[in-house]
Amino acid sequence: MTHFGNTLRTRRERLHLKDKSFSLRQVALRIGVEPAYLSKIERGEVAPPSEATTVKLARELGEDPDVLLALAGKVSRDLQDIIRKRPRLFADLIRQLKQAPDDAILRVVREVRDGDW
Amino acid sequence: MITLEDDSLMFRFPDVHDAASCAIEFQRTLRIPDDGRDYPLPPGVGRFPLRHLDDFRADVPQDWHRRGGVIAPMHQAEAMWINFTSGAGYPFAVKIATGKICALTGDGWVNHLNGDPQDYLVLPDQPWLDGYCVEEGVIRQFVAMPLGAGYTVEEQLTGEALHGGLQIVVYPMKPERYRQLERLRERLRERRDDVVYCFEEPNPENVACMFDMGLAPGGRMRQEVYDDSYGLDAWDQRNASRCFVTIANSAQWMAITGERPPTVLPTAKQYTTAGLPWFEWYGGDAEALAGADKLRSLSSVAQFGKSKGERPLPENETVEVTHTVGLRSDDATRVREFSSGETGG
Repeated sequence: MTHFGNTLRTRRERLHLKDKSFSLRQVALRIGVEPAYLSKIERGEVAPPSEATTVKLARELGEDPDVLLALAGKVSRDLQDIIRKRPRLFADLIRQLKQAPDDAILRVVREVRDGDW
Repeated sequence: MITLEDDSLMFRFPDVHDAASCAIEFQRTLRIPDDGRDYPLPPGVGRFPLRHLDDFRADVPQDWHRRGGVIAPMHQAEAMWINFTSGAGYPFAVKIATGKICALTGDGWVNHLNGDPQDYLVLPDQPWLDGYCVEEGVIRQFVAMPLGAGYTVEEQLTGEALHGGLQIVVYPMKPERYRQLERLRERLRERRDDVVYCFEEPNPENVACMFDMGLAPGGRMRQEVYDDSYGLDAWDQRNASRCFVTIANSAQWMAITGERPPTVLPTAKQYTTAGLPWFEWYGGDAEALAGADKLRSLSSVAQFGKSKGERPLPENETVEVTHTVGLRSDDATRVREFSSGETGG
């Protein structure tokens, strides 16, 4: 079982304990795939699904889409587009922040400015 | 600090507590009929896009830039609800105003919290806010109307159209109170061996800018705004984060951002006729606020339009809701959103 599949299954089964609508079949129907396919994903028998399906799974299961995409070995399309527009700048930024602790990274995140109102 | 992530406003207070973070987003939704009936909760059909206002400094009026914050597009007569998420369960006090008028009390904006009457809601107990708190268990839906036409709450209460938009301030719980709460939660968890979620905590001259959109009271909806069971003293009012959400109409949004605004949604009648669900929320035993006299006395958009001989709400037919889904406190966000026509990848 892959880390991706294992994470999905663990999370879904935990939700299923509280809410029967998190059965394999019902989750598969809600995200628009066959239950057998979702079962294979959970057991790591097939490669992780497309970005769109992974994001739907993340939202369905209350997981962060970027985290689930990373477990699937993917980077979201919007992040790829951002990097492609200014590749040198973002590659440099990401490498410099590689070892930084979370709070240091949060300090360079752009804040929403509060003005005068 | 506030950051903008995937069209959500993320409020974080790392200096208060590692777990002190919450998200606020604005959901597009059906406009419920403004016909005097009480309706259940309509679905969310996706987030309104949000952008940093600073990104468009050259294209927005000086007044808008001075406020800072973010910008969102709304069609005239479009409705919205506000979705609150406190992922780690850290409590927050959140004040919501439109045109700098509090959506719970009808009072003018102040930066601090008031306990009597309570002018804030409490997260994570309160999952959503769909409108102005007019009676116990009843709100009037947030509906976008152009500022200057007289419909908005701000104009009805102050006679002026100066601010428009929507204003938010978030206060985290004091860390020492949170640690007490965590200990209590832990004891409750230890006592329970079942997995059912059942949380029982203690219980034109005066128009500033003709381009602005404001929010006005629409149809009536069944929704409770909960009383603060922690008390005013629980909130860390030295650590507040606030944000002005400027609302642009569709044409302005395109002119400013170069992006197309979201498409117009189906009407409440079309949605209901298609057999799609409305929602009811079962939030437990929490006490509900009584609603504000000031807000109760306002004219709804349809009533105000009638008095002016206008018809501001197209497609305002009464709807017979027959399919209603009940929601509990542990599945609120997931199931109130409805995404149409999505297929798997």
